[in-house]
Amino acid sequence: MNLVQMRIRSCLYSTSVKAVRKQKWDLMSAVCLERKPVISRELNDIERRFSRILAETELETSHKSDHEVRFEQDMLQAELLKSKSVDLDIDMALQQTAQDFEDAAVEEYNSFPFESRLTEADRTHDLQSLERKLDRHLLLLVQEKQWDQKVWIMPQGLRMDGETMLQTAERVLKEECGADLMVSFYGNAPCGVYKYKYPKRFVGHGENASVGAKIFFFKAQYIAGHLEHNKLKRKEFKWLGREELMASLPEEYCRNVSQFLIDEE
Amino acid sequence: MAIIRAGLTSALSRLCVSDVTSNNTSRLISTGISPLFFKATTCLYAEPLKKKKRIDPAIIKQREERKKKRLEKQIRRLERHARQLKPIDELEVPFEFIDEKKERIREAPALTPETLEERALLYKEWARYKRKQNMNNMQMIDRLVFAQQKALDELRQESEELYQAAIQINPTQLPFTVRGPVRTPPIKGYDSPDGEYLDVSKKW
Repeated sequence: MNLVQMRIRSCLYSTSVKAVRKQKWDLMSAVCLERKPVISRELNDIERRFSRILAETELETSHKSDHEVRFEQDMLQAELLKSKSVDLDIDMALQQTAQDFEDAAVEEYNSFPFESRLTEADRTHDLQSLERKLDRHLLLLVQEKQWDQKVWIMPQGLRMDGETMLQTAERVLKEECGADLMVSFYGNAPCGVYKYKYPKRFVGHGENASVGAKIFFFKAQYIAGHLEHNKLKRKEFKWLGREELMASLPEEYCRNVSQFLIDEE
Repeated sequence: MAIIRAGLTSALSRLCVSDVTSNNTSRLISTGISPLFFKATTCLYAEPLKKKKRIDPAIIKQREERKKKRLEKQIRRLERHARQLKPIDELEVPFEFIDEKKERIREAPALTPETLEERALLYKEWARYKRKQNMNNMQMIDRLVFAQQKALDELRQESEELYQAAIQINPTQLPFTVRGPVRTPPIKGYDSPDGEYLDVSKKW
């Protein structure tokens, strides 16, 4: 009897009920894992010209350094020696001159093997390497199967009961990339959201079926370690720079993601 | 009346040999059982005071004078030292440089009007460049803040609880430190040679 009354009521007020009824959304967390630039960027044209002028101005307004004074004294000494106005003093001749010191310093500098700014990964274009594009941000993408197609997106996962969104993000990252990866999350708050509705044919018909998903993105910084992609289910991943990223993400997803990424001009 | 009596008995009880308050008053007096009913005051070990020595008032005056002088001297010394601040070597021009200032002047050729003009133009261009860069930065920050606020709003619509968890401060991130980018990447497996550590800072 009661049930019948309920049915009738829901039929009567169906329109208003539908308008008020909250749509159910799946909550997901995604990790926007970035490797920060390791080396500084090359100066662009105007920066190079300006820094040159700054250096020139600084030199003009400066006084002579100890080294320069010593250098001049050496020159004077040499001239005196040439003109034979003083006796050749062996001690003086054996002393290290400013020029010698400078040559030694330059030689030491040149003989030090600095690491190249371009790495092996740059040359081989190894997308799975973290050594690529050292002066840029690299972002982790994984391949995931969505409905009936494979897409490149950031690692994401559904929220479980009792988890905060950040905990979900941490768990997802551990599941997808292994425990070896050391990262630091930037904060408890998500940095962006991507909200989308599921395609009609995939939406369930039950009362509790969710209409779509809200993906909350959490930024994290790569610290150390590497992906254990051999042990885990995750086989496909790549670290991408900004332009490559925009090219490989799905269009709608990309538009949302670019809202919270730091620009690289 | 009863209250006053009770107060009196408690006050006088310590003078009494046996317990006054107890009803079963015993006539038997014994000091051998515990607690001991007899009480003696503690020994003071005192001796009669010594007669005060009479000192000449002039000597007393002299002594006080001396004490005052000593204190004044200490104060003066403290004041003198307080005025001397610990020098910061990095901020002081060494005397030898001041002495040799004339010899150290660099004879640079005078700048031509063209160079000056070129520099002025470059300064202006630089200002424009930095302005544009700053504007872009501002816009970017606005965009980032907006994206985050939107995410928080969406989260709040779903669950107030999750929203509250998200806006908490993360104490592990504070204080926030960043190792900036460097000119060349670190050499893998590079064993930095140990230099000699010489502490040349002066003691003050």
